[in-house]
Amino acid sequence: MLSVMKRPLKRILAIRGIAQVLTVTIGLIILCIVFGIMNPIFFSSRNVANLLRQIAPILLIGIGQSYVLITGNIDLSIGSVVGMSTMISATLMTKGMAPSAAVFITIICCLAVGLSNGLLVSFAKLPPFIATLGTMTIARGIAQIANNNYNTDSIGEAAQGFRDFFYYGKTLGLYNTIWIAILLWLIFNFLLTRTKSGRHIYAIGSNAEAARLSGVNLVSTTTKAYLVSAFVSCIVGLVTTATSGMGTMDAGNSYELYAVAASVIGGVSTLGGQGLLFGTVIGASIWGVLQNGLQFAGAPVAIRNIVIGVIVVVSVLLDVIVRSKNVAKKKKSASSM
Amino acid sequence: MKTITESDVDKGVISMKKLSLVLLVLLVVSAMFAQGTKESSDYKVYLITMDQMDQHWVNVDKGAQKAASELGGIEYKWLAPDVKDDAKQIECINNAVAGGADAILLAANGPNAVTAALKEAAGAGVIIIYVDSAANFPAVQTLATDNTAAGTTAGKEMLKELTAKGVKSGKIGVISVNSATASTVAREAGFRKAFEGTGFTILETQYCDGDAARSKDMSANFITQGVVGLFGANEGSTVGVGNAIAEAGKSVIGVGFDKSDMILSLIKNGYLLATMAQNPDVMGYEGMKTAYKALKGEKISPEYFDTGVSVLTKASL
Repeated sequence: MLSVMKRPLKRILAIRGIAQVLTVTIGLIILCIVFGIMNPIFFSSRNVANLLRQIAPILLIGIGQSYVLITGNIDLSIGSVVGMSTMISATLMTKGMAPSAAVFITIICCLAVGLSNGLLVSFAKLPPFIATLGTMTIARGIAQIANNNYNTDSIGEAAQGFRDFFYYGKTLGLYNTIWIAILLWLIFNFLLTRTKSGRHIYAIGSNAEAARLSGVNLVSTTTKAYLVSAFVSCIVGLVTTATSGMGTMDAGNSYELYAVAASVIGGVSTLGGQGLLFGTVIGASIWGVLQNGLQFAGAPVAIRNIVIGVIVVVSVLLDVIVRSKNVAKKKKSASSM
Repeated sequence: MKTITESDVDKGVISMKKLSLVLLVLLVVSAMFAQGTKESSDYKVYLITMDQMDQHWVNVDKGAQKAASELGGIEYKWLAPDVKDDAKQIECINNAVAGGADAILLAANGPNAVTAALKEAAGAGVIIIYVDSAANFPAVQTLATDNTAAGTTAGKEMLKELTAKGVKSGKIGVISVNSATASTVAREAGFRKAFEGTGFTILETQYCDGDAARSKDMSANFITQGVVGLFGANEGSTVGVGNAIAEAGKSVIGVGFDKSDMILSLIKNGYLLATMAQNPDVMGYEGMKTAYKALKGEKISPEYFDTGVSVLTKASL
């Protein structure tokens, strides 16, 4: 009986990078308990529902950034793509376009940014930091130009269905935004862990040259990761439009960094090749819980920034220490042989 | 038939001299004449805004037009780039100077972008007056919204409504853009001032970067915390406040800033109590009057003219 119980546990513990995920999960639980004690409202059903809905967009962009980080690259254009998605969809709807058509066009535009990111990095061999810095400013420019340098008007009563679908509506007692995040997480987690493309994404992140020599197409694999990132950013932009009922040009500002934070807190390595999307869930949750809990605690914004910054650094430090220990262990076992 | 002699050539030289003399006289006379017409048909005043699209600038123009026709004898023109752009605004200033402007009413794009062009304009004797936003260059007067006073007005509106509902104490949430934007920081400070000495506690300000969706999240958290009032310091913040109140369906009093289609619809639906709208028409109207006085050589005071805010409520819409 005991051995049967032990086996799945062992299998879970054998997954690469699980140690950090478990550590931060414990951190998340402690954080929730502390905030709950400080302020009983924290666990009220209303706040839990709100909190989950606040975590959802961070989780979505976190999924995108995790994909890209696992390939050993980075996507700085996420926040701008969120803004671009918001402004394009809202502008089209204020001009009287049906929400479904507006959503379709918006997704195409955002995927074009993802495609450019992928090709610039893998085909043109630009450093990912520079390539996506460029598309970041371009996408923000498109967000601004979409409605001639203004926030849009209200998307109107006709778009109420759109607003309910992405944000205000509930299905089986949960807000739709949360369902969207769960559904996309399941899909992208499946693609990353259970398909050939997913394994290729890990492979080029661990060792691009080895992966290439064993027949992995670097261009298409890298581009796939950037397309995922652009797609989830696009969805977050649509959620933003639904939330506000209008388009704001500043939407999504610095979301790319939130996405990095959610990923690395959850144990995704910025060096590539390692990371679990379950970790990203924990990372995004820690981020969301901190924002929510520290607002209740009445902490000044400066303090909140410091706390979040420290957590990001500590979690990466944890990763580095664990990795160097592993390397030392391997060396030791190699020399003893 | 005369043959050409040396004296004829000399005469030619003389006639050339005469011609240039005549030309010179003509030039002087016409210059004097031009000066004369200027004396009789008064002044050329240009309004230069950040762009032409925004209703805000259209209203500044309307105000300036009204004052110009009331005062009489002013040749008034509105110049603006099609979209907000520093280089294009500089071009507008140069065009106004070349077009013989006596005064320019300017809504400066930024504090430093256009100062070189303004220096040149001032060198050409043009009087400069700022409307809406000033640059780092001395001008006769700046006519703009005093954001601190406007914030206090917003606070008083909220306080009035809370008192009317019999609420004497409670928590109030504030959503602003960031801690660096001078106008919204001033609005927030003014808002807090209105509640000094009352039983209300104003919670730590939340910053949403002007993103209405983030403001909505923060407002929802405030409502969960049990606030009785919410204040948004700009358009995005205010829309978030209104959306959160609309969703929670609670009787939280929401007061905001700016006048947009979305904010007005939130007020009409009863989710927001009021919004503070700037008075661009007053900027144009009073700015033109200042320009006229300055051109007449009158001394202008004050240096800073608060054009105030209008409180827009469901009743006033």
